[in-house]
Amino acid sequence: MNHATIEKSIPLMAILTLVVVLIGGLVEIVPLFYLKSTVVEVKGMRPYTPLELKGRDIYLKEGCYNCHSQMIRPFRDEALRYGHYSLAAESMYDHPFQWGSKRTGPDLARVGGKYSNAWHQAHMRRPQDVAPESVMPPYPWLEKTELDYADIADRMSALTKVGVPYTQEQITNAITDLKAQAIFQSDDKNLKKRYGDRMALDDFDGIPDKITELDALVAYLQMLGTLVDFSTPQPQTR
Amino acid sequence: MSEEGKVETTGHQWDDNEGYPLKEFNNPLPRWWLYSFYATIVWSVVYWVFYPTWPMVTDYTRGLLGWSMHSQLAEELAEAEVLQKPFNDRLEKMSLVDITRDPQMLQYAISGGKSIFGDNCAPCHGSGGTGSRAGGFPVLVDDDWLISGTIEGIEDTIKNGHTALMPAHQADFGGAFKTNQVDDLVQYVLSLGGKPVNKEAQARGSELFKGEAGCVACHGDSGKGSAKDTTGGQPVEKSIGAPNLADGIWLYGGDEKSVRLSIAKGRSGLMPAWNAGTEGVNRKLSPLAIKQVAVYVHSLGGGQ
Repeated sequence: MNHATIEKSIPLMAILTLVVVLIGGLVEIVPLFYLKSTVVEVKGMRPYTPLELKGRDIYLKEGCYNCHSQMIRPFRDEALRYGHYSLAAESMYDHPFQWGSKRTGPDLARVGGKYSNAWHQAHMRRPQDVAPESVMPPYPWLEKTELDYADIADRMSALTKVGVPYTQEQITNAITDLKAQAIFQSDDKNLKKRYGDRMALDDFDGIPDKITELDALVAYLQMLGTLVDFSTPQPQTR
Repeated sequence: MSEEGKVETTGHQWDDNEGYPLKEFNNPLPRWWLYSFYATIVWSVVYWVFYPTWPMVTDYTRGLLGWSMHSQLAEELAEAEVLQKPFNDRLEKMSLVDITRDPQMLQYAISGGKSIFGDNCAPCHGSGGTGSRAGGFPVLVDDDWLISGTIEGIEDTIKNGHTALMPAHQADFGGAFKTNQVDDLVQYVLSLGGKPVNKEAQARGSELFKGEAGCVACHGDSGKGSAKDTTGGQPVEKSIGAPNLADGIWLYGGDEKSVRLSIAKGRSGLMPAWNAGTEGVNRKLSPLAIKQVAVYVHSLGGGQ
């Protein structure tokens, strides 16, 4: 078959074009349906608590992902600096995931528990106060803006549509749970029953009588990378 | 048109009537380019055979080499460990003071300590230990130590951490004193550092400081802090870590407003205990790492 034959017959050209596109499509798309086979199952992952979920929204809203990645690659320098490399399962409840592709600031995949809440408060107010060489802009409005969490139950039930296993009980009690996590020494028995023990509980923003955007963001940051239990050895490969 | 006849055409010809018939050349790709392209296709097949490639239904193709990024990382880490082992073994056995006397080990400990410090300590104490007033994080490069500046003392503080609590004194914030009494205390504390103050308020403040407010129990009779001062003839318990109020060095700021805030609302500081916790969850440092950091901090300039 030479050029002339194909070019002069539109049906023939359409069929051949379709064949080429189909091959490309098959090769690129079909493997995605089997990606599950590459995800290592780990203990400890749970859907985010309502407060952490709100904090994640703030993280997106403020564009933190533009400068911070959440993906520790399996390299020696990263293992020594940030800890265990990120596992696929650790972003299984992220829609969309926050791996990022730029590190103007450090990776945040395991920042949880690394700094105190007081440090985060000072750092968000003016990063240069705690890290003079930092180029991060200040976020002083976070502690001044009260958190709008009226829609939290809706957001959670929306996430169930894409596979995050929130239970009806968790959705119904979303606001109660959100307050329990953000208010110091409040009754957190039910919250822990619903989400497990691995979570930071505190007055994250240092302002006891208000739940601010800073509360949510710090709660989210303090959770990052802490859910998977690394005290028992994890499989290096599948 | 000069190439006509030399280059293959697709055989089409349009617009014959215009006198300049349009023809479509079929210029072949440069051979080197074409063969490189074929070579990359062949290489990709080789790659599929040797390296992990395709996700399948229950597993993925692992490749003949059995290579994975994760096992490569484990190998690299093990390799580095082997190289560092002779040094680490010696470091583990040596006392802190001996390390400072052995130039080679001192250099090794300081370089290791510096990078561990950069990741774990610098967020609060600043790169190079310059401290930060924003959260009351102490400066580590001077010789004004809240608890201890000896190398063993530094190691002990890193290991066990430190909880500092300055209670609130003003009634509005849960303290036991009226606003004007707090003002008097502020005047007295400022006078300790040699600042000009209201003499009457200073006298009232001095009485409170030594009496009812009980400041002397931690800061000492002359306000020189738990590290140096005495109270009632006895040295102040050093582990309290109460700052010296009579020098020009301030943890939370030495201006009237900051001092007032410290006395009225109190302050609390937390240095985490670095030998506690679970790795990967709340960052434990190994005894060896703590030793290296202690040597590094001691070397910053203020070590005693």
